[in-house]
Amino acid sequence: MISKRILIYILIISVLLPIAVVLHLNSGQIALSFSDYFPKDVSNLSTNELLAREFRIPRLIITIIAGSGLAISGMLMQTLFRNPLAGPYVLGINSGASLMVALSLMTGFHLFETEFGLIGAGLIGALLSGLLMMALAFRLKSQISLLLVGLMFGSFTSAIVSLLESLAAAEKLKAYTMWSMGSLQQVEFNQLPVIGVVFLLGLVLTFVLIKPLNLLVIGEKPAEVLGLNVMQTRFLLMAITALFAGLITAFCGPIAFVGLAIPNLTRILFRTQNHAWLIVGNLMIGAIFLLLCDSFIQLMEGRIALPINVLTSLIGAPFVVFLLMRKIR
Amino acid sequence: MIQFSQTEIGYKQTLLKIDSLDLQEGKVYALVGRNGVGKSTLLQSMAKLLSLISGDIRYEDISLKNLSRNQMARLIAFVESKFDGVEYLSVQDYLMLGRSPYTSLTGKLSDTDKTFVNEISEELQITHLLEKSTTEISDGERQICSVARALIQETPIILMDEPTAFLDFINRQKLLELLIKIAVEKQKCIVLSTHDIDLCLENQLMFIIASRRRVVKENCTKKTELINYFSR
Repeated sequence: MISKRILIYILIISVLLPIAVVLHLNSGQIALSFSDYFPKDVSNLSTNELLAREFRIPRLIITIIAGSGLAISGMLMQTLFRNPLAGPYVLGINSGASLMVALSLMTGFHLFETEFGLIGAGLIGALLSGLLMMALAFRLKSQISLLLVGLMFGSFTSAIVSLLESLAAAEKLKAYTMWSMGSLQQVEFNQLPVIGVVFLLGLVLTFVLIKPLNLLVIGEKPAEVLGLNVMQTRFLLMAITALFAGLITAFCGPIAFVGLAIPNLTRILFRTQNHAWLIVGNLMIGAIFLLLCDSFIQLMEGRIALPINVLTSLIGAPFVVFLLMRKIR
Repeated sequence: MIQFSQTEIGYKQTLLKIDSLDLQEGKVYALVGRNGVGKSTLLQSMAKLLSLISGDIRYEDISLKNLSRNQMARLIAFVESKFDGVEYLSVQDYLMLGRSPYTSLTGKLSDTDKTFVNEISEELQITHLLEKSTTEISDGERQICSVARALIQETPIILMDEPTAFLDFINRQKLLELLIKIAVEKQKCIVLSTHDIDLCLENQLMFIIASRRRVVKENCTKKTELINYFSR
């Protein structure tokens, strides 16, 4: 049963998404025409066609994937922990990914030297920190302590990263610093299929878990009595979150607050706990939000170089304060 | 209907030992005992949320050990002492979760499932709450909704952990009358843990008394008989 409210919001975001896509494609410094995106001869591209293929399209697609993926992983964490303040960033999953990426970029781990090594590092870091937080989460009953532990874990990993930074050679330090500011421009056209496949895999798994997610809303024990395999579900949710967060963190650097703010916004707008609709909402609203942020960054280019992580934090942090006020009220 | 034989329950150490106990359908049992004696542990063991230390619990000659998680979900419903409600979770969506053991991977309810949800809602007179959020209704209404969800789960056995604890005097009596009616009309076996001894005596419930690591079934009619068990 779909409420009129959800229907209206889905209609609105369905209109907003293509607008955000067009805006994003047209916010670059050089104006491209529609035909530049569909070259007739791929082996002989004009400058504009090359610009579209190598810069605009990859940037568009990774922005959509990052926005959607972070929103979905935030939603999964919030449902798993039954806490609106959970998210890949607060729970230290991004920190874990950052730590592993820092290790691979600034130390001599040859294992991580290829491009896939970087994704691998991000994924492993995300999964490990996810498992660690999960182990702690079910020992710590209070939600506040969990969030505090997540923040402490973030501080701890960033201290290790700082240590690595102080020891690293100049060029390696630069590579890491660039990565850590977050950027949606690092992805190349030929990397898109891999990113797309990993993202779709996570998405398919998420849709398969609609019923378990809906059950988890009422708590783990009641869900178990209704036939849910809680341990298996916990593990799958952590794995999907690590997949999304690891993939996105590896390619785009840390992007804060999207995973925390968007799922809350979606629930507030849709007023439902039916994950079939929440998934659709998070996918689209996450994409729209990050497309708008990145469009703004592109429009400001030349005047100010704004890293994406800075912008999402500037918008996200006050929103989270608003959420806290709403809860405490 | 449910038989215990030489059943020992507890976490690491044995909290309660039940040599033999037989519970029948069509009855409401009041599980009583002092704080910490193991009432919740007993209920959780019956729902297989905890594994037994030794012995067996059987449902009509089938050992619960041999049942899958989903088979258990079709056999036993569990009502927690308090459901706080979840923001944006409507009563209707909450009730529909009760059909989970019968739905496929997608969790989509069939027309028969939906009709059943509606029938139970009408029977418990909560149709006016369906559209509301589970956080907007009163404690009493929420407790009735929890009972409704357990009924929608369509199990022969319903376990309830202190269902009256957070209810006012009138709502306690109402809930108990409702449970007795359900047990008789639908031939269910309902076990509820409680400290509301007076209420149970007034309603002539059968007692399951947990005391001194033992559990006995007793048809007490006077408070003094019960108190004897605890001070013995």
